Amino acid sequence: MPDPRHERLAQVLVDYSTRVGEGDLVLLESTALGAPLLRALFRRVLEAGGHPQLRIGLEGAAETLLTSGSDEQLAWISPLRVEDFERADARIAVEAESNTRNLSEVDPSRQADMALARVRLRDRYMERLAAGEIRGVITAYPTNASAQNAEMSLAQYEDFVYRAALLDEEDPIGAWEALGERLRGIAAWLGTKREIRVVVDGTDLTVGVEGRTWIPCDGKENFPDGEIFTGPVETAVDGRVQFSFPAPFAGRLVREIDLRFEGGEVVEAHAAEGEAFLREMLAMDEGARRLGEFAFGMNDAVQEFTGHTLFDEKLGGTVHMALGKSYPESGGKNQSALHWDLVCDLRHESEVYADGELVYRNGAFLPDLV
Amino acid sequence: MTDPRVARLADLVVDYSLELGAGDVFRIDALDTAAPLALEFYRSALRAGAHPYTNLGLEGTLELLLEHGSEEQIAYVSPMQWHEIEELDALATIWSEANTRSLSRADAGRHARHLAAQRRLSNRRWERIAGGEMRWCGTLFPTNAHAQDAGMSLRNYEDFVFSSCHVDSEDAAAHWRLVAASLHARAEDLGSVRELRILGPDTDLRLAVEGRTWIAADGRYNMPDGEVFTSPVETETTGEIRYTFPAIYHGREVEDVRLRFEGGRVVHAEAARGDDYLNTLLEMDEGARVVGEVAFGLNYEIDRFTRNILFDEKIGGTMHLALGSAFPQAGGVNTSGLHWDMICDLREDGEVYADGELIWKAGRFLHEPVPATAPVEAADRA
Repeated sequence: MPDPRHERLAQVLVDYSTRVGEGDLVLLESTALGAPLLRALFRRVLEAGGHPQLRIGLEGAAETLLTSGSDEQLAWISPLRVEDFERADARIAVEAESNTRNLSEVDPSRQADMALARVRLRDRYMERLAAGEIRGVITAYPTNASAQNAEMSLAQYEDFVYRAALLDEEDPIGAWEALGERLRGIAAWLGTKREIRVVVDGTDLTVGVEGRTWIPCDGKENFPDGEIFTGPVETAVDGRVQFSFPAPFAGRLVREIDLRFEGGEVVEAHAAEGEAFLREMLAMDEGARRLGEFAFGMNDAVQEFTGHTLFDEKLGGTVHMALGKSYPESGGKNQSALHWDLVCDLRHESEVYADGELVYRNGAFLPDLV
Repeated sequence: MTDPRVARLADLVVDYSLELGAGDVFRIDALDTAAPLALEFYRSALRAGAHPYTNLGLEGTLELLLEHGSEEQIAYVSPMQWHEIEELDALATIWSEANTRSLSRADAGRHARHLAAQRRLSNRRWERIAGGEMRWCGTLFPTNAHAQDAGMSLRNYEDFVFSSCHVDSEDAAAHWRLVAASLHARAEDLGSVRELRILGPDTDLRLAVEGRTWIAADGRYNMPDGEVFTSPVETETTGEIRYTFPAIYHGREVEDVRLRFEGGRVVHAEAARGDDYLNTLLEMDEGARVVGEVAFGLNYEIDRFTRNILFDEKIGGTMHLALGSAFPQAGGVNTSGLHWDMICDLREDGEVYADGELIWKAGRFLHEPVPATAPVEAADRA
C-alpha cells in the first residue's frame, strides 16, 4: 500500500504551495525514484484542473554529459527546457537521488561551465518567479541515498522528512499558514535593521542589510520550508565564518568550510575536505565570491543535521548564507552562476546582534523582541 | 556489469538507423523501465556529436489521466509539445512496458479520444519524417512484461531481442548493411510483379500489386527490422485467408481470424475468439475492410510469435496483411483509422505465386534476388 503521506504531501504542494487552478500548465520534475510521489502529484494536479507535464531526469545522464560531452554539448540547452520555463504556470521539482555523491569525481571546472551555460535559463525562471508569473516549489523525496547521507534508515528518514513538512499536524496547510504569519512578523521587524553580527565558536561576521527586504518563506518555493532571508549589501560583509555543517553541492561534499570576508568579498577560503572544489566554485565568476543570501533557519520540526541543504538550511537555530546569486525580490544585486547555501549551527553558545543589540541567543530570537 | 548488447544496440540505432551527426537535436523517448538503454543512447549520441535529451514517461500516469482527467485534460496537447516537434532532427522511441495490459480496463472511449488528440501531434511528426526533416527509429528494451507476453523468461527473451537486432555480434551495422542490400534487391525484384497469390491451409488469396512500390524495411525506422512491403491495389483483393497467429489490436487478441475478400473488400470475417471485436473494428470506417499493406517477413532470427508487432511482423517465413490505412510512399491510397497487421504463418506449407510462377515455398523465396543496381548506401534515404 502506498504511503498515505504521499497524498497529503501532494495536496499541500498542489493546493497550497503552487495553488494550481483550472487550465494551469504544471511541470512535475523528478527522477523515476520519485515515482510514488509523482503519481500522487499527477493525480492531484488533474483534480485541480491543471495539465501535468512530466519531466523525468535520467539517472546518469548528467555524469555522462560532464565526463564525455564536448564543450559545445555541455553548453547546449534543450529547446524544451526553454519553452518549459517560458510557458509553465507552475513547477513542482522533486529531488529524488539514488546516489548523493554521483558527481564526486567529475572535473569541477566542467561543472562550473555547465552552470554558467545555464545562467540565462535560471535567471529567466527566477525573473518569472519574482514577477509571480510562475509558481515554483522544490521538494525532496526520501530515498535510501538521502537516508544514508543523513545516517538513518529509510523509514526513519521518511519520518524526519514528513515531520519537517508538518504532515504530522492535523491540518498541514493551516500549520504552514500559522508559521508564515510568525515569520512575516519577524521579517518586518528585521527590515528595520542595518547590520547583523553573528558570533559563535570560530565565527564573528558582520553583514550589512540596510535597505534590503527580508523574505519570510512559508512553503511556497521550498518544501519543507521555514526561513527568513535577505540579500546582504554586496560590499558590506566582513569577518570570519566557519560552517560547522558539511556542505553538499552539485553531487559532492565539502567539509569544514572556513571563509574570511573583507568588504563583501571572500579573501581567504579553506576546507578540511574538498578545498579544490570550493576554490573552483569561488572562481566561477565575479559574483561567486560574494554573498547573495543571508538567512535564519526557523523550522523547529527540523532538529537534526541530515546533509541535505533543503532541510539543513531550515533547521531551527541555524543561519545560512549563500555564495553567489541573490534573489532580486530581497533587493540583492549580486549576479553569479553560483548559488551555494552554507549552513552555520547557532544552537550552542551563539549570539546574534542587530545594530549592536543582542537579539538572538543559542538558536532562538529573544522573546518579546518582535 | 552492463550487458554489452545494450550499448551495441544504442550504437547501431545512433550510427546506422539514425545516422546522427554533429549538432543534431535528438530526443530519446522511453519509460523509466528502459533507463539502461536510454542512458546508452545518450552516451552514444554524445559520441556522435549530437545534442541528446531524454523524454521519460512514468509507468502508471496514463492510467491516472484516463481515470481522473476531464475530457479537456485527456485531449490536451501542450504548447511545448508543438514547439518541440518542430525542433527535433531525430527521435528514438524505446518501447519497454512494465505491464502490457495496464490499460485493459481503462475506458476505451476515453482512451480513443486521448489517442486521437495525440495523433494530431504524431501526424505532424510523420509529415516531418516523410519530408526528410527528421528521422525516427523505434526499438525495444526487454522487460519481464514483454517476456511474459512471449511466454519466455527475461533472460531468454533478452537473447531473442538482441539476436534479432544482431547486436550479439560485434559489428551489427555491417550485418544490417548486408541485410539492406538483400532487401532492396528483393524489393526491386518484386516491383515487376503484377499479381500475388498466397496458398496455405484454408488460404487462397490473390492480391494485385501492379504499379505499386515495394519498400525494404532495412533497420532505419525499426530495430529489429527485416521485411519488404507494399500497399496492394485497393479494389482487387479476392479470396480467403486464415491467420494462424492471434491478431492483436491495442492489446486485445482475436484468435483464428478468417477473412473472405471480394473486389478488394472483406465480405465475411469470423474468429474463434473475439469475433465481435473483429467485426466491430471492420465497421470503423470505409477503409477498414481494405488491405492497406502486404508484406514478407524476412528476419529469420525472429523464429517465433511473441505478441509484439515490432517482432511478429518480421518473423522469417511469414506474410502479413494489414487491414486499413495504406502507405502513400508505396503508392497505396486507402485511408482508415485502422491499421491492423495480421500475421500469416507460411513456414509449414505455404506457397506464394507471382504472376503464376512459384516464388516462395515453406517460408523462403526460392531464388536469391538479382543484386540491386543502385548502391545500397544511397538508396532510399528519405
